[in-house]
Amino acid sequence: MAINKNSNVYIIIYTIVMVVIVGALLAFLATSLKPMQDENKLKEKKNAIMKAFKAEGDFDKLVTIYRLNGTELSEVEADAQAAIFEELEKRGDLAKAEKDLPLFKYAEGDVVKYVIPLVGKGLWGDIWGYASVQPKDGNVVITGIVMDHAGETPGLGAEIATDRVQGLFVDKALYNEAEEFAVRMQKGGARNDHEVDAITGGTKTCDGVNAMLKDCISKYEAFLMAEAGAVAADTTASEVEPAEAAEPDATDAVEASEGEPAEEIVEPTNVEEK
Amino acid sequence: MKLSKNFTNPLAANNPVIVQILGICSALAVTVKLEPALVMGLSVTFVCAFSNLIMSLLRKGLPSRIRIIVQLVVIATLVIVVDQFLRAYMYEVSKQLSVYVGLIITNCIVMGRVEAFALGNKPWDSFVDGVANGLGYAFILVLVAFFRELLGSGTLFGIDILNRFGYVGNSLMLFPPMALIIIGCIIWVHRSLNKDLQEK
Repeated sequence: MAINKNSNVYIIIYTIVMVVIVGALLAFLATSLKPMQDENKLKEKKNAIMKAFKAEGDFDKLVTIYRLNGTELSEVEADAQAAIFEELEKRGDLAKAEKDLPLFKYAEGDVVKYVIPLVGKGLWGDIWGYASVQPKDGNVVITGIVMDHAGETPGLGAEIATDRVQGLFVDKALYNEAEEFAVRMQKGGARNDHEVDAITGGTKTCDGVNAMLKDCISKYEAFLMAEAGAVAADTTASEVEPAEAAEPDATDAVEASEGEPAEEIVEPTNVEEK
Repeated sequence: MKLSKNFTNPLAANNPVIVQILGICSALAVTVKLEPALVMGLSVTFVCAFSNLIMSLLRKGLPSRIRIIVQLVVIATLVIVVDQFLRAYMYEVSKQLSVYVGLIITNCIVMGRVEAFALGNKPWDSFVDGVANGLGYAFILVLVAFFRELLGSGTLFGIDILNRFGYVGNSLMLFPPMALIIIGCIIWVHRSLNKDLQEK
C-alpha cells in the first residue's frame, strides 16, 4: 500500500517526529555547551575589568568585589560573585539600581582603584563599560576606562570601543572646582582639563557616553568623595585645605590626619597637570 | 565529470553572490574585517552543505505541501548549531558576527540551493553542491573583506600591513556602501572576463 504523502495524518506525524528530533538535539546541544558559553562571558567581563584597572594577572586574586550602600561597603564572598556578574548582564536593572551597587576594588601597594560598571544608551542600542577611578587629593581621577557597544556605527560611534578614545579619559579628574561632575566628551574639542574630544560624526553616541558616565558614577559619588577626602587627609598637612568636597567625612578625615606625621605636604587639590 | 562541474560551477561561472546576486545583505555587514568574514563564509558553507545533504536524504518521504516549512526547520536547526558552537569556542568572533549568524537562516543561497538542487538530486551530489556554493559565497566575502580591512584599517587579520608605512585607515571603507561598490567592481571584472555572462 502506497502512503499518501499529502494526507493530513502523514503530515501531522511527519511534523511531530521532526520537531521532537530537532527539539531534543538543540536542547542537548544548548545544555552541553552552556558551561563553556557562560565561562566565556565571565572571562570577558573579568578581562574588561582588569583592562580598566590596567592590571595584568589573576582577577580572582587581585580584585575584591563589594556591594555599596550609601558609603557602606560589604564584601561579596566568592560563592556569591556569580550573582554580581549576572547583574552586569541585566543592563536595564543595573541602570536603575540604587542600592547594593557592585564595586570592584584593586589595591596595589598604596594605590587603591575602584572599577564602576557603566551602562547607558548610545545612538542605536546599549553601551556599557567599566571605569576605573582612583580617589586622589580630594578629587577622583579616572585611571582607565573600557567601553563597548551593541551596535554603534562603525568608524563613528563605535570608536568608543577603541583604545584611542578610551585613552583620552585617562588621568581626567571627575570633579571641577565647583564640585560638579565635569568629565565629558565635548563636541568641538575639549575646553578644559576635565573634558575630552568628542568623536566627529558620533555626537549622539558621545552624548550617551556622557550621560552614562554621569549617571553611573554619581551613584558612587558619596563613597568616592569620602574616600578621596580620607586619602587627602591621610597625606595632607592640616593647613592645606583637604578636599573641598569631603563634607560628610570631614570630621573623620581630621581625626585620621591627627595620627599622621605632617611631613608630606601635598599640593592643594586639583593636581591636574598635563 | 558531472561532480567536478557541480563543484567548480558555483565557484566562478555561476557564483551565488556575483552572478546570482544572492546573499548580498550579509556580505555588506560582515566584511569589515577578514576574520569574521572567513568565519561567516565557513558557517554558511557548513549550513548550506548539510541542509542540502539532509534535505536530499529526506526528499523521497517529504510531503510537498509542507516542504518549505521542513526546509526552514532543518536550516534553522543547523544555524543554531553553528551559533552555539561559535559562542562556546570562538566567542570573540561570534560577538563580531552578532545577529548575522542567526540571519544565515534567511540567506537566499541556502534555501535556494535546497529548493533548486537538493530536492531533485542524490545526497552526495547535493552535499558537494552545498559546499561549492558556500565556498563561492565565502570566497567573495573574503575578497571584499580583504580590500575593506586593508584600506579601511590598514591591517589584514588584525596584523598591521599598510599601517607600518604610515597609512591612515580610510573609514569610508568601513561603511556598508563601500562593500556594495567593491562587489560591483568584482562583478564588473568577472563579467568582462566571462563574455557569455554579458547581457546583449
